[in-house]
Amino acid sequence: MFSVIGQVFSNVKYIVLAISIATIVFTFAVWLPNFQLIGLVISSSTASVIEKINFLLSLYGSIGTNFTVISAWYTIMIAVLFGIQIALLTYYIRKVRGGMQGITKAGAVSVTGLISGVFGIGCAACGTFILTSLLALFGATGVLAFLPFGGEEFGILGVLLLLYSIFLLLKKINSPLVCEIA
Amino acid sequence: MEEITQKQTNQYLIPAAIVIAGAFVAGALYLSNAGTATRSVTNTGDAQPVAQAPEPTGSTNEVRQVTSEDHIKGNPDATIKIVEYSDFECPFCKQFHDTMNEIIGSDGNDDVAWVFRQFPLEQLHPVKAQAVAVASECAAEQGGNDAFWKFTDGYFDVTLTNNRTDIETIIPQLVRETGLDQSAFQTCFESGKYDDHIEADIANAVETGGRGTPWSILVAPNGKTFPINGAQPAQAVQQLIEIARNEK
Repeated sequence: MFSVIGQVFSNVKYIVLAISIATIVFTFAVWLPNFQLIGLVISSSTASVIEKINFLLSLYGSIGTNFTVISAWYTIMIAVLFGIQIALLTYYIRKVRGGMQGITKAGAVSVTGLISGVFGIGCAACGTFILTSLLALFGATGVLAFLPFGGEEFGILGVLLLLYSIFLLLKKINSPLVCEIA
Repeated sequence: MEEITQKQTNQYLIPAAIVIAGAFVAGALYLSNAGTATRSVTNTGDAQPVAQAPEPTGSTNEVRQVTSEDHIKGNPDATIKIVEYSDFECPFCKQFHDTMNEIIGSDGNDDVAWVFRQFPLEQLHPVKAQAVAVASECAAEQGGNDAFWKFTDGYFDVTLTNNRTDIETIIPQLVRETGLDQSAFQTCFESGKYDDHIEADIANAVETGGRGTPWSILVAPNGKTFPINGAQPAQAVQQLIEIARNEK
């Protein structure tokens, strides 16, 4: 298994891809509560470009202030694992099979993991995260009171699903090219 | 033939899953951006808070005018105001309280005022958040603005958050430390006289788009409003203040 990871990431392109995807997912997670504010700042005619960039960078600090220890952990894990997963998927499609056949299960598990992780993003205790917003649409925010971790379960589930999808992908990459008997 | 159909279905699984994920992300964006600031507000005046049913417009421009009735830290005549809607039992409000104290205490922020309004989340922190909100209002009634902030700073220093605080011990302790008359405080606390005031704050928080705490609105010198969702770091708040200073 680990030799497969080494084999894939010996190519710098896949490292760059994994880091890029992880950065995008992480940025989405930490900026999400303030997209409206970001829009106002970016479109401001009075703020300089430097001020706008400094503001956007300063929001990354919210991982330490706007997240619980658990949610910060799974937010970083989801970003990293999704980056690795996409890099492995790309490797598999380009180098191993030349297509997506045989990896639909891993892909579906991965996307489910990302969706579950997205549900867990934000301030679970204070209602500023996506799950709360969705529940509010149905007038069901009280459901959170029955979840032992106030909705953070979804983030942890996301990490587990992504780990499982990476495991499935590694198995597929590692499997010999044979014509299987149905 | 069935196998071929099955394989074709499988080939569409990943694109379909990605589309579904995209829909969720788009939904997340939509939900996190409900309401936009489009017009200016006046940030001074004498309007009294009135309890009313919230209009779920979600516009930060609906922020109630800041008056002498508000709890203000920093320069009351400041050109930049940060109106925070807070819950005493919310862990992120505790975090943001420290951040705002740091901002107000920083050199060069004499043009910034911090306005504290109540937003107890009954569903998440039943009974206690509301009780402490009432207690803070009673502290303000007896000891004015200084007593309010002494009580509030003191509470956020010791709260365990998420309804784990022993308020029956902590509130009397803070009342003593703030130098308030305990009997008069108790009468106020049990009277229910601030329930409407707190309801008005909650209604205004919802009107402005607040769906959780801490929910803050920065009002620039020209009245332009900037929403701050959650406990953003001091650096981000300071950077936003710098940007707001250009809005004249």
